Amino acid sequence: MGRIAPATPQTHVELRGVTKRFGGTVALDRVDLAVRAGTVHALVGENGAGKSTAGKILAGVLTPDAGQVVLHGAETVFRSPRAALDRGITMVAQELSLVPSRSVLENVFLGIESRRGPFVRGGAERFAELVAECGIEADPDATVGRMPVAEQQNVEILRALARRAELIVMDEPTARLTSEQAVALRRTVRSLAERGVTVVYVSHFLDEVLAVADDVTILRDGRAIRSGPAAAETRRSLIEGIVGRAIEAAFPPRRPRELPAPVVLRVQGLSRAGSFEEVGFDVRAGEIVTLAGLVGSGRSEVLRCIFGRDRATAGSMTLAGEPHAPRSPRRAIRDGVAMVPESRKADGLLPRRSVRENVTLPHLGRFVAPGGFVRTGGERAAAGRVTEAVGLTGATIASAMAELSGGNQQKSLFARWLVGRPRLFLADEPTRGVDVGAKRGIYDVLAGLAGEGMAVLVVSSELEEVLGLAHRILVMRGGRLVGELDGAEATRTEVMELAFGAAA
Amino acid sequence: MSPSGGAVLGRVRRLRPADFGIVWVTVALFVLLSQTSDVFLTAVNLRNVLDQQALLLIAGSALTLTLISGHFDISVSASHINAAIVTALIANESGSAVAAIAGGVAIGAAFGLLNGVVVAWVRINSFIATLATSFVFYGVGFLLSDRSIIRIADRGFSEVARGRSAGVTNATWIAVAVVVVCWVLLERTRFGRHVFAAGGNPEAARLAGVRVQGIVLATFLLSGAAAGLSGALSASKTLTAQPSDDFSFVFAVLTAVIVGGTSIAGGEGAVWRTVFGAFFTAFMLNGFNLHQIDPIVQRLIQGSVILVAVAADNWTRRRRSA
Repeated sequence: MGRIAPATPQTHVELRGVTKRFGGTVALDRVDLAVRAGTVHALVGENGAGKSTAGKILAGVLTPDAGQVVLHGAETVFRSPRAALDRGITMVAQELSLVPSRSVLENVFLGIESRRGPFVRGGAERFAELVAECGIEADPDATVGRMPVAEQQNVEILRALARRAELIVMDEPTARLTSEQAVALRRTVRSLAERGVTVVYVSHFLDEVLAVADDVTILRDGRAIRSGPAAAETRRSLIEGIVGRAIEAAFPPRRPRELPAPVVLRVQGLSRAGSFEEVGFDVRAGEIVTLAGLVGSGRSEVLRCIFGRDRATAGSMTLAGEPHAPRSPRRAIRDGVAMVPESRKADGLLPRRSVRENVTLPHLGRFVAPGGFVRTGGERAAAGRVTEAVGLTGATIASAMAELSGGNQQKSLFARWLVGRPRLFLADEPTRGVDVGAKRGIYDVLAGLAGEGMAVLVVSSELEEVLGLAHRILVMRGGRLVGELDGAEATRTEVMELAFGAAA
Repeated sequence: MSPSGGAVLGRVRRLRPADFGIVWVTVALFVLLSQTSDVFLTAVNLRNVLDQQALLLIAGSALTLTLISGHFDISVSASHINAAIVTALIANESGSAVAAIAGGVAIGAAFGLLNGVVVAWVRINSFIATLATSFVFYGVGFLLSDRSIIRIADRGFSEVARGRSAGVTNATWIAVAVVVVCWVLLERTRFGRHVFAAGGNPEAARLAGVRVQGIVLATFLLSGAAAGLSGALSASKTLTAQPSDDFSFVFAVLTAVIVGGTSIAGGEGAVWRTVFGAFFTAFMLNGFNLHQIDPIVQRLIQGSVILVAVAADNWTRRRRSA
């Protein structure tokens, strides 16, 4: 286990050999990292590299499974976020934790209200002092829920400062801000550091990191790759550090497409206000197209529109030459679209019901006799056939879904659509939360679907997947399609540069 | 489960004794009462218990489907009471037993339809929605009956519920029929599958092409119609109908459903569970009477039993998801 140089007097907080697991996945693997007092320290990495987890451990929101958190030179265990708060550490999370129906003032002083006896005192003076001290403007009487996100974020920062926080961990603070708002936030962050507050800044916006941070730590696959002054880094050096290694995961061989194959899905000028704009592409029969980009770049939203979960506000789609504007998933399914959603727990599974029932749910009509009775014989046969086709191992179709491993659950969601014969197969993060062995199985299923002539469109945040599976790669950034690459020839750096918007 | 060897796709679902808790305790109570009371295990007593539970089973079987679809229907009492009033009015007006019973079922179904629309389309939480509609329905009951007890003049009308075949009352036979229909609907039909899906994970169901709103509406329609049928039969049984704003019927029904083990969170449950839940509570009350237990103590025991049943449900749920 590597050990970094002993803490200097000016080190505010340190991770030493910190490991954190979620279920079977290792989010952080023996990470060493030191944050100097009064600096802005950025954590960068791909989606899933562990940067948010590291931020949460620094903030006391999560506790490490192994290793130590060292605060001001002394090992510390935070039993709760509250305990971290008492030690002057607070977190501004991606999902803001304000009470939307109450005023700014109430939110800022929530839990630390000044009281006279049992009565809460106004706090207006105290609020004015706080604003004067830090220079962040906010109307104390405004209702938080009616404010724009950027101002809500300021309220969170004010709240942190009201608690005399010495260390603020910000997780993707600009992900939901416009560029002007992001610039304003950057100024706020710099001024905090000048006043001696330490800021840990988790972000995947590299320009922003270079502009705001004193130090940068690059994380990749749960490991800290390197730490150093931001001045010594460039966008290119950061991307190279983030991307790192060559593709080594096992993928099925890319089947040659039989060109010219018919266009199955054509998307033209598709927009949805607030999500994505002017997106246009084709997916042909027998082809796997991956949609790459950062989280929040609008990839999943495009899939939602194709599947009828959301309606597009402009543009058009055709499916096998016919106009395609599904008003509901039900319509999309009828027209031959299948979708494996991003969150299988929330949007996919009936955990208490059997694999059989889960698998046949969208196509139950095929097994229904007059009177609505389900012909269970035919249903069992079909469930057996499709679960075998996706390589569901070690479980029976009678098992409750909740008893299956993540990989088998995911395979079941693929199997579900094989009961019918979809023309277009959509998959959003198809291998999320799936162990390495099962991943290959899912890649095989996807390749098999394309091999049978389906058009396959995959959204993925995992670069290996994007590169290893695709015939063609589409890259989105900020709600727009910014590039198309050939799956066989594209490199990680090319995809990342398009996704991050780095000038090549 | 660990993947072993090839794909072994068996057919038999493992049955866990823990899933049948309500069966064991009901059987245990049955045995206990048979041993401790001379009267319990007599044909007369058991037939009485059956007849007493008939109306509750009719409303409860249908309400089971509503709960599995993820919703509450508190207005079962109000539909029950209104159906009795409508049945009594039609019986006196037309003298036709068929029309009278049909009228009771129809008003229950109409109320159910309204509940379904309010819950599925207006998207008001079902507990609040049906609590609110209950008051509306109670008001309707007072208006229809002109605030007085209605007596059914034709004494023969009581035969609808009280008539016997094979020694058992018609009400009991009708209850058996409703139980079977609900059971088959839930376990054997596409509609039943969709009820489980809608309650187990509404978004997943929607993404699989299930018309979740329609399914929810249908379960409310069913629970309303069944409450109507139970109200119509109660009018036949007593030859009277009385407006009131009493919630006790729905709570008795809910108790049977929940003690049986149907999840209040939706997505899980069974009609046979409600049958056992109903008999467990019925045996308990019957035992209290046979042993002349103080009514105050009865309440203490009854309340505790509900708590234990729901706690056990939570506990097994947590263990299984762990």
